[in-house]
Amino acid sequence: MKRRDFIKQIGGASALTVTGGLMLPSFTSKEKRHITILHTNDTHSHIEPFKANHKRHANKGGVAKRATLIEQVRRENPNTLLLDAGDIFQGTPYFNFFGGALEFKLMSMLKYDVATIGNHDFDNSIDGFYKQLPHAKFDFVSANYDFKNTVLDTHVKPYKIIVKDGIKIGIFGLGVQLDGLVNKKLYKETVYLDPIEVTQDITNELKNEKKCELIICLSHLGYYYKNTPEVISDLNLAKATKNIDLIIGGHTHTFLPKPTIVKNIEDKNMLVNQVGAYGINVGRIDFYFDEKGNKSSTGTTIIV
Amino acid sequence: MKKIFYAICLIFMVISCKKTDAKLTKIIAKTIEIDSTIQPSVALKTVISPYKEKLAAKMQKVLSYSSEELNKKDSVRQSLVGNLMADLSIEMVSPLFNKKTNETIDFVMFNYGGIRAIIPKGEVAVERAFKIMPFENELVVVELTGEKIKELISYFINNKKAHPLSKNVQLTIASGNYDLKINNVPFDSKKTYRVLTSDYLQSGGDRMTFFKDPVKLTKLNYKFRDVIIDYFKEVDTLKSTIDNRIIVK
Repeated sequence: MKRRDFIKQIGGASALTVTGGLMLPSFTSKEKRHITILHTNDTHSHIEPFKANHKRHANKGGVAKRATLIEQVRRENPNTLLLDAGDIFQGTPYFNFFGGALEFKLMSMLKYDVATIGNHDFDNSIDGFYKQLPHAKFDFVSANYDFKNTVLDTHVKPYKIIVKDGIKIGIFGLGVQLDGLVNKKLYKETVYLDPIEVTQDITNELKNEKKCELIICLSHLGYYYKNTPEVISDLNLAKATKNIDLIIGGHTHTFLPKPTIVKNIEDKNMLVNQVGAYGINVGRIDFYFDEKGNKSSTGTTIIV
Repeated sequence: MKKIFYAICLIFMVISCKKTDAKLTKIIAKTIEIDSTIQPSVALKTVISPYKEKLAAKMQKVLSYSSEELNKKDSVRQSLVGNLMADLSIEMVSPLFNKKTNETIDFVMFNYGGIRAIIPKGEVAVERAFKIMPFENELVVVELTGEKIKELISYFINNKKAHPLSKNVQLTIASGNYDLKINNVPFDSKKTYRVLTSDYLQSGGDRMTFFKDPVKLTKLNYKFRDVIIDYFKEVDTLKSTIDNRIIVK
């Protein structure tokens, strides 16, 4: 199993120091900034926790419990963003009977900031998704689905920029190839664009034009396909591109024991994470920024 | 005085607009499990509750009745619930398929593992269909060559599981060989046959590779679960038997 090997490679050292990365104690606290990213993926209409007699996930998950956790983290650090990597819909009768209205309402109560679109979010067709949008008080981003000739035109942007604690954060979305996975009747005139090409353009724009200091990709491409390694996946995307700090993945329901550190095309370390499915886990990534500090120690310490 | 105030404001704005010189120095990542130690938010529970009640009412709606338990017990490579699922599928889908293509379905094959629950004796509610078929699989018709049908039968014989086959199949399994009739006509390896199955199995699920690359594939856009629910709505009392569709000598 290639995936496990990959995790093992970094598994030994839990703290990885990049380019020297000697941490100096800072002299003033004002220049320190702290952004917390919380994330979910493939929650699949799992509103309630798993039943107590469930074989693998007994009592795990549940949106009302997730709300408590998120509130705690927000109290600890108000500069928190809450993100989702798609497949919000489908998986329990809540979706079959209410069409996703409750999923979006609850996510709005949890104050999700941004989400991307998964293949199952088309399960009631693109019109069914559109119909539920009024319940979503958060934004959807997708950079490689061209919705120009669909009802979602102008409703889904390629990216969103959020400024938190003075840090400019660019968040863009990527979706999985729909042909062969979703009935064309459901996704209609949605055009799938090459994720790598799109990412090169978007990250260039976010980094160099918009001057984002943190770039996050919400991806529903899938973590990695060991039987078809040539298929685009989060690990492949991470290695083939630059300027992304974090890929939050979905689709493959991969329960990573810890986020994966990947070297991008410029040999810089970045993170790929995915937290399984069904709202069993929430990922938490804390980014610490410092304006002071020794100019020579420009490294970033990544602790996973 | 006002001018000074504006000037100060302007300076302030310029300073605050300045991009931070922040360097990313440290990243800490972890995964937090939502477990039973976390108390649920009351505000969220209040919003969920009316949906939960409405859902329960819909799921508990009684559609049919079963005078006996239709279980998954494997007897002569058949099960009561499996036979019912295969037979009700061809019954429900055949008219639609005929209308759509002017062709007929020869038989049905599903996988034993894909039938996720039994039908207990008594009232049968909507929820039962969700338990039997929790997945969103849709039914498809696969036209296969005689050679692929041979592979299908070999799979069935060697896999030694009660994979549901509809009553259109009469398969007698003896040691080393078998006899196959489809709709009372001896199997002809030079003919093609149309098999109703799920999109999951058609794409190679449960290693049913013979369904891949068929002569022709017709998608029905009809969820297996909806077929079950529609049948339950039509039929007062569910019935199923172990019959001679499979004979093991």
